[in-house]
Amino acid sequence: MKLSMDQPVSQSRPIVECRNLRKAFGANEVLRGISFEIPSGVVLSVIGASGSGKSTFLRCLNFLEQPTSGEVFLDGEPMGIRLGKDGRFTRDSPANIARMRAQIGMVFQQFNLWPHMTALENVTEALRQVKGMKRAEAIEIGRQFLGKVNLSDKADAYPARLSGGQQQRVAIARALAMQPKVLLFDEATSALDPELTGEVLDVMRALAEEGMTMVVVTHEMRFAKDVSDRVIFLHEGLIEEDGVPADVFGNPASERCRRFLSSVVH
Amino acid sequence: MMSETLRQSLDLSIFWEYRATLAVGLLQNLYIFLASASLAMALALVISLSRLSGKMWLRAISTCYVELFRNTPEFVLLIWVYYVLPILLSRLLSTQFSLTAFVASVLGLGFAYSGFLSETIRAGIQSVPRGHIEAGVSLGMRERTILRRIVLPQALRRMLPEALSQLVSLFKATSIVSLVAVPDIMYQVSMVNVDQMQPLPLYTGAALLFCLVIITATQMIQILSDRWRRRGWA
Repeated sequence: MKLSMDQPVSQSRPIVECRNLRKAFGANEVLRGISFEIPSGVVLSVIGASGSGKSTFLRCLNFLEQPTSGEVFLDGEPMGIRLGKDGRFTRDSPANIARMRAQIGMVFQQFNLWPHMTALENVTEALRQVKGMKRAEAIEIGRQFLGKVNLSDKADAYPARLSGGQQQRVAIARALAMQPKVLLFDEATSALDPELTGEVLDVMRALAEEGMTMVVVTHEMRFAKDVSDRVIFLHEGLIEEDGVPADVFGNPASERCRRFLSSVVH
Repeated sequence: MMSETLRQSLDLSIFWEYRATLAVGLLQNLYIFLASASLAMALALVISLSRLSGKMWLRAISTCYVELFRNTPEFVLLIWVYYVLPILLSRLLSTQFSLTAFVASVLGLGFAYSGFLSETIRAGIQSVPRGHIEAGVSLGMRERTILRRIVLPQALRRMLPEALSQLVSLFKATSIVSLVAVPDIMYQVSMVNVDQMQPLPLYTGAALLFCLVIITATQMIQILSDRWRRRGWA
């Protein structure tokens, strides 16, 4: 007799766990039941054709999109939902959702830096407003993380004065400064000119080497192959292929995955 | 060759002669402008946020408000606030209730322009890219923080030229308060005219004065605001 659905206790509990995640926009079902878990320090790349649900999937992890059903757990804590007394999940309070989101960093395709703030102010803003840090402390941490993405000299520059690659690195510093448990990348290099993707990928690679837990939605097959510990291929809202890069790229079980890879890898 | 009478009537020196009286009048216009502009902007902020609210009833009420005040002439509104509102309030509260002409002017103009300004603010808020808000959300910021720190500072910069032209209209509209006997510049001009019977130089002077004040003020604001707006948008 099954007493619970609990999995056997493992040594390292997953940082992010999804259970049967579904998301529909009206009649359009974008995610059709996704389950997986990521242990600490793992870099997971999510690949797939456009429209396969990659971005939606990522946005469900920090509740930018509310899943239609299924659960996301961050470090064991349910994300965005709360178990009610009646045994059903209901939407969590805005304060709790915000508190959980602060532990998940996100880097966007369009950078989304705030144009009325300098690079440094972009990085310190959430430290001040969310973490309630004192000005001096936030600035010290902000400079430290700008240094980490090699932009110490651009602290006082407004985003409009920075190249796309520099803007994206500021955005990474902004997410990193919050010291998140996991970092989500939503096609972080897709909006960049080809000659600028390298500097962003280098920063991402360095983070992976430091043991940062990352979920990377990407079109950069080279990055997925070389840097990630695990690759998921999404097709029409389902995980079609899941494995270490060597297997997914070298010998995919799914015919669709094979076809997708041959269309993007030259 | 100009006739002697025409030259006389275009001689603006009589306007200068009465400068003390006229300056007192202009000051009234300025007071009314400042008070009604503050009222209009405060109302406009609340209304624009209501129009963007997720609550249906709040959107409905604020939409009615905007349509009502945007489509009523300022003059009609002013007369209504001055003559009708006190009667209405007196009956409702069953006590004697009256408004001074000054207060009625501030209320009337404030209401009228809050409608226009709220649409400007709304457009400004809506022009802030969704992604800028999502960046705040993903960092754990609460709705109010995002509004105060990310949305409004950008909206303000974007809407400034539009808002400025509405404030110019508001300042020009203050000239109608003389019709409910607020001793503003137009009121003073007509009083002097009763004495001197020289409408041409007096009213021409008033027109030029309005023009001068507005051009000077907008030029100054433009220079200051451009410097501020250009930061981050170069």
